[in-house]
Amino acid sequence: MEHTETGRLKFYLTSIKQVFSFFFSLGKRARKTKAFYLLSFLPVLISFVIKFALIFSEHRDIQGIYIFTNIIMAFYLQFLILVLALFFGTSVCSEELEGKNLTYLVTRPIPKMSIILGKYAAYTLLTIFMTVIGVVISFVILNLSDLLDFSLYEILLKDIAVLSLGLMCYMAFFTFFGTFLKKSIMFGLIFSFGWENIIQYFPGSTQKFAIAHYLKSLLPASPSGRFAFLIFRLEPTSPVISVFMLFLITVVFLALACLLFSYKEYILDD
Amino acid sequence: MNPVIQTDKLSKWYGNVLGLSDVSIKIETGITGLLGPNGAGKSTFMKLMTGQLKPSIGKVLIQGERARNNYTLFSRMGYCPEYDVFYDELTGWQFITGMLKLNHFSSPDVEKNARKAMEIVELMQDKDRVIRSYSRGMRQRLKFAQAIAHEPEILLLDEPLNGLDPLGRRKLIQLIKTYRDEGKLIIVSSHVLPEIEVLTNKIVLIHQGKIFAQGDIHYIRDLIENHPHMISIICSNRRKLASKFIKEEYVLKVEFGKVKNRVTIETNDRDKFFSSLPSVLRKNDIEVEEITSPDDNLQAVFDYIIGK
Repeated sequence: MEHTETGRLKFYLTSIKQVFSFFFSLGKRARKTKAFYLLSFLPVLISFVIKFALIFSEHRDIQGIYIFTNIIMAFYLQFLILVLALFFGTSVCSEELEGKNLTYLVTRPIPKMSIILGKYAAYTLLTIFMTVIGVVISFVILNLSDLLDFSLYEILLKDIAVLSLGLMCYMAFFTFFGTFLKKSIMFGLIFSFGWENIIQYFPGSTQKFAIAHYLKSLLPASPSGRFAFLIFRLEPTSPVISVFMLFLITVVFLALACLLFSYKEYILDD
Repeated sequence: MNPVIQTDKLSKWYGNVLGLSDVSIKIETGITGLLGPNGAGKSTFMKLMTGQLKPSIGKVLIQGERARNNYTLFSRMGYCPEYDVFYDELTGWQFITGMLKLNHFSSPDVEKNARKAMEIVELMQDKDRVIRSYSRGMRQRLKFAQAIAHEPEILLLDEPLNGLDPLGRRKLIQLIKTYRDEGKLIIVSSHVLPEIEVLTNKIVLIHQGKIFAQGDIHYIRDLIENHPHMISIICSNRRKLASKFIKEEYVLKVEFGKVKNRVTIETNDRDKFFSSLPSVLRKNDIEVEEITSPDDNLQAVFDYIIGK
């Protein structure tokens, strides 16, 4: 092991990479992942049903991108990324404790923070894959007749970027929750469907205490359609500050999770 | 010789529950047996040595370095936990190679060391099966393989012989002895005296979180030999059997239990009792269905010694 700063940094990065590849490969096989893949494919099914219904409907003039945007708002942003981040983020630490496999990880020559960062990265990438696959297939189904309209792809890419940022940020937050609390899922549900869903509609600066506020600030300003209320924004933050805030929240909660995991004593129950 | 592992007034409390109390010990290379009944504090001691737990008082030094939050130690140390847990979705091979990668082995070395470890524990044929489908014995061997795969100098084995069949047990014992011959330090915990006895004569007796006795196997044996043993026999004529033994000076008590044909004999000399038992049975034409020793465990021995 090298003792210079560069050597140490290289060692830390290698450790993170090794943990990442172990858990990415493990995560792909996990039953939990397969179950959540099914959930993330629900919008694909919905898109298919809608598209099929539209063929026989009087409202054939409704644009696919309009339905697609509403699915992103109603299902992905307000529900799916929160659920995925909650279950995968909290499990970064808690599944090691509950499964008692933590012993194998903490008796390896790797810094404890690399376990958190590597596993966080693996699970974040997995959840991004899950989300993006469903988003892209839904997009293709709903815009089948407009696939040559390249301006639509800009919307698709923007939506994917916002959802990925959301997953990155929520995952970091729930990773911290998982290292900190035993009943992290329950608190996570309260946060996701209580705090996040309420606080973002508060006037003034209170709404800025919700991650959803920054995500919505990155989406188009003029809401449209039936689910317009879900994207209702009182005072949106500028896109640059929103992105900065999302990154800041991610870094702060990951740093806290690493710190806690390194110094907290986890006693595996018999 | 400098001690490889040294603890000083090591104590651990789980809230109000005592895990380990005031343990000061020096352990050198070779095999040391950590013997104690379930819940004695053996696993707590192991977890303190591997830095998984923070001492409430005192310290642990491994090759002069503190154990807690010192990940560099684990390139030199292998640990086989007591829990029968794994990443069950992985195959045995994926598990071992994954652990070796976490030990910073290069790809060719991962392959080489994983193959060697799997061959040692005779799991090479089943390497591509998912761990979920492994038998208890195979899982135990896999756990041992992950502890030795990176060729550590120090091996901490928490109840490694649990769940192994007699043949597997014999092979593992032989293997542990090979590591001793290579000059490594090995600590093996168990609640079964004969398991430890065949491995080493350096024994640490641990009970209720305290080092109860420490030393040579003969000393421990003496403590145990003096302990009265209960032997329970189910036979065709328990009254006759009882009448033959009741007059012997090494028999302290004879009891007839509720179970049909069962007689329980308490003796202070187990060897003498067992050497005369076959001839008594033969001479009196008594058929035996079952012989058990209800208190032939360390807990009974400890209870007796503490009571004394």
